[in-house]
Amino acid sequence: MTVPPYRRPRPALLSTTIIAITAALVAGCAKSEKDQPTGGGGAQAGQVVQSPSGSAPSCTLSKFGGTKFDPKTAVVGFSQSEKEANPFRIAETQSIKAEAKQEGIAGLRVTNGQSQFSKQISDVQQLIAQGAKALVIAPLNSDGWEPVLQQATAKHIPIITVDRKINATACKDYVTFIGSDFYQQGKRAADQMIKALNGKGKVAILLGSSGNNVTTERTNGFKEEIAKQAPGIQITFEQTGDFAREKGQQVTEQMIQSHPDVGAIYAENDEMALGAVTALKGAGKKAGDVKIVSVDGTRNAVTQIVSGWIYAVVESNPRFGPLAFQTLTKFVNGEPIPDKVIISDREYDSSNAEQSVASAY
Amino acid sequence: MTTEQAATDAPVTHDTYALGRRDRVFGLIQRHGATAVLVLLLAVGSLSFSRFPTTENLGDIAITSSFPAMVALGMTFVIITGGIDLSVGSVFALGGVLAAYAVRWGTAAGLLVPLAVCGAIGLVQGLLIARVRLAPFIVTLAGLLGARGLLLSISHEGATTYLIPHGSLLARLGQGRLFGLGQPVYLTLALFVIGAVLLQRTGFGQAVYAIGGAEDAAALMGVRVARTKIIVYVLSGTLAGLSGALNAARLSSGVTILGTGMELDVIAAVVIGGTLLTGGAGSVSGTIAGVLLLGVIQNLINQIGDLSSSYQQVVSGAFLAVVVVVQTYLSRARRL
Repeated sequence: MTVPPYRRPRPALLSTTIIAITAALVAGCAKSEKDQPTGGGGAQAGQVVQSPSGSAPSCTLSKFGGTKFDPKTAVVGFSQSEKEANPFRIAETQSIKAEAKQEGIAGLRVTNGQSQFSKQISDVQQLIAQGAKALVIAPLNSDGWEPVLQQATAKHIPIITVDRKINATACKDYVTFIGSDFYQQGKRAADQMIKALNGKGKVAILLGSSGNNVTTERTNGFKEEIAKQAPGIQITFEQTGDFAREKGQQVTEQMIQSHPDVGAIYAENDEMALGAVTALKGAGKKAGDVKIVSVDGTRNAVTQIVSGWIYAVVESNPRFGPLAFQTLTKFVNGEPIPDKVIISDREYDSSNAEQSVASAY
Repeated sequence: MTTEQAATDAPVTHDTYALGRRDRVFGLIQRHGATAVLVLLLAVGSLSFSRFPTTENLGDIAITSSFPAMVALGMTFVIITGGIDLSVGSVFALGGVLAAYAVRWGTAAGLLVPLAVCGAIGLVQGLLIARVRLAPFIVTLAGLLGARGLLLSISHEGATTYLIPHGSLLARLGQGRLFGLGQPVYLTLALFVIGAVLLQRTGFGQAVYAIGGAEDAAALMGVRVARTKIIVYVLSGTLAGLSGALNAARLSSGVTILGTGMELDVIAAVVIGGTLLTGGAGSVSGTIAGVLLLGVIQNLINQIGDLSSSYQQVVSGAFLAVVVVVQTYLSRARRL
């Protein structure tokens, strides 16, 4: 019977910390938007196709090389890109699910890439392996779809991308893209900004996440319109807020310190605008001190127009369900489809915000 | 504490044979637990979902898992030495962007540039950890941020995605198939065989285990601690870069948003595979089982279809917690 020798304490603390962080990050990502009911149904303020929309309808089932099938009985896959943790994604997924139910599409399978591109790729590959006859994809990134497109074209599976584009050939790699004209959104935001500032002042831009066409086009549309219409407005600060509220707040806090003379903020989505509002409140600013113009049209943002913190919001309608399934049905019935379907978006400012809050998502 | 140990000591010393047997059983569970659960899940999945055991679906799981597996191989070495490498996710993404950027100078450049840069990042980290004796957690956290920053500067804040041209040799390397499986799968298997030989059959492997078991004792025995540690971090960085480059070849583009949080998935896979986070024990075969296990869980949850994919993370998290609890219990029981 010996006294156990002294054992050097093992670095258990480190391992415990890592486990805790891992577990927190792996498991704890299911936050949800609780402060508002979300109206994501298909009927409410559904999307309207802008006319004229894109090019002339030219893509048909026979040109694409597919065969006719009945969407009601087939497996149809929907791949969502980001966690349903912001109103846009919540409304988008709900709209797809609600419309599928209404149309009697029983074989709808929904996956979520959790903002991880590798996962979204494997999600879609799995939908294909599960025998999906058609795919609706909300791509996280515009590039990098090679493996999916190869598998889908080999099986002639029609792909409709919604809200963001895939960099590939329409009617060959995928059928069509349904979404807003993001360049136009940026341009309209610029027009609102010019009104807010009376044509002169310093503006900061909260950019969206990189690597997709939404950020690029919303930025270009805004900058080009400002350069053309209001040379008195200078863009003195731009940094990415990754389309996220916390990041938008963080970047705005830094901006208030480094560029105190900025008189207006263009946020490329509502979540970042709401983060900016929090940052401005924290810095002791009053509603309207810094004009904010943003894009999306979420209920929270429209409410902030009523309370005076946000000047105007250009809508980006996420209710893709009806249009996506209409387009799919037309396509499998042999009707020609345009290479892109552009939807018309509304605008919210102090004149209509109060009446429109109810129909925002 | 002392009385408690004295009390448990009594029956243990009476029956050393039983202890040895229990020890072996526990050791077996620790090493092959992940494989057993993997086989179980594959069986359950095959019986429950007709679309699960198809060659297409299993092939997808294999190719998808092969990229994190390469990264996890390097991580296994690092963790066995008692270290950690948090930079691998960023280095993986950087490797992909570098490959897509450098492919303009030819296929060899498309592979060598990411390997060299990512290996160099591993070398710097290894030097800081082994020679300057900084904590691996902090050094590689800095590496995580630094590699991501480098990526952003190459890709103009992520706005430029470099493409790997269709039909180029590099693209074919990532996309080609052999007997129905993606080529990277075979490369991964080959790397794991080399890794297993390196770890189990060479002096270097012995040194890796010895350092993780008791670093001071290893140094006293003449193990070249610093050199071994540096090699291990170079290995981890290089493998992460290689994996990133091949993944970019598969996607035909240097996607800039990849790899965030990947280090945690990889660490989880290594731990599930039976490697102790405290170092000194583990195997590369366990790691491959751990990676496949996470891949199969994700696949099975997608099979259920309408189940919210948030549950996937809950299941992975819960699974990890259970594995770590069991491992801690087993290693404590073995040491008594």
